Amino acid sequence: MSPQYVDPGVSEAKFTREVEEYRSLEAGYRARGWFLIGAAFPVVRVVMCATRTQPPAVITGVALDYTNYDEEPPSVRLVHPFSGEPYTFGQLPTTLKRRVLGPPLEVPGLPVGPDGKPPRMVQEQPLMQASGPDEIPFLCLAGVREYHAHPAHSGDSWDLHRSSGAGRLVRLLEVIDVYGVRPISGYNVNLVPQIVGFLQDSVPE
Amino acid sequence: MAEKVALEIIVNGQSTTVEASSRAPLHSVIGKTLAETGNTGQPPENWEFRNEGGVLLDSDEKIGDLGLAAGARLFLNLKAGVGGDA
Repeated sequence: MSPQYVDPGVSEAKFTREVEEYRSLEAGYRARGWFLIGAAFPVVRVVMCATRTQPPAVITGVALDYTNYDEEPPSVRLVHPFSGEPYTFGQLPTTLKRRVLGPPLEVPGLPVGPDGKPPRMVQEQPLMQASGPDEIPFLCLAGVREYHAHPAHSGDSWDLHRSSGAGRLVRLLEVIDVYGVRPISGYNVNLVPQIVGFLQDSVPE
Repeated sequence: MAEKVALEIIVNGQSTTVEASSRAPLHSVIGKTLAETGNTGQPPENWEFRNEGGVLLDSDEKIGDLGLAAGARLFLNLKAGVGGDA
């Protein structure tokens, strides 16, 4: 991570604005399961919960680092909600899956759609990306530092997104909520029955 | 007769109030809202409305048909797919 090279007063003022705007609507965010648990420049920590499960569930913590904001976008990591340690990809409780259209299926003999174009498969694509299960994943989204720093996104500069608020606190939390938390509707339970003996329906004299 | 309603719109966390006709489609307020909040970098079609519960709203629906009355709070956020996200 780069050291703070932007005038700290500028970045801190913008950081404070993000936190104050959040605080002004905090009751509504809490009702959605968002809890801002810490805000000390340059890092905001939020815990996000699924409100539809019974009982409600803590899903993930989020750490947003606004060092050098908004010359640079914030860094965003999904972290353990209690320890604050970043999750590796294999540990992620949610990968922020999106439904997207895959490439056209240009198979000989396969009929084209009503629009005359080859059909496309609907795929699930995680917004959290990493090259292996032990790597700390990044949120693959414009407005996130790790996205713009990735060599594959060198053509999509932060400057193209900066004035649209792509790196703002609530916008980033909204994306994490919409794709990673809100779709969670219940617990996925895996039961492993074990035979521990026999049942008797009677005990003779 | 079309009724004017004042909507509270939160743009990327920043609150503003916009007045609109109940017969107008919801997307008709996006341009004005973005101008008032200084969010100029992306065109209106790259934004989406959600209600307080986080439910996506159809921006082509009329404001009145969506049941939005005066004081309704909406969230206007950049879509996740904007800008070539992987």
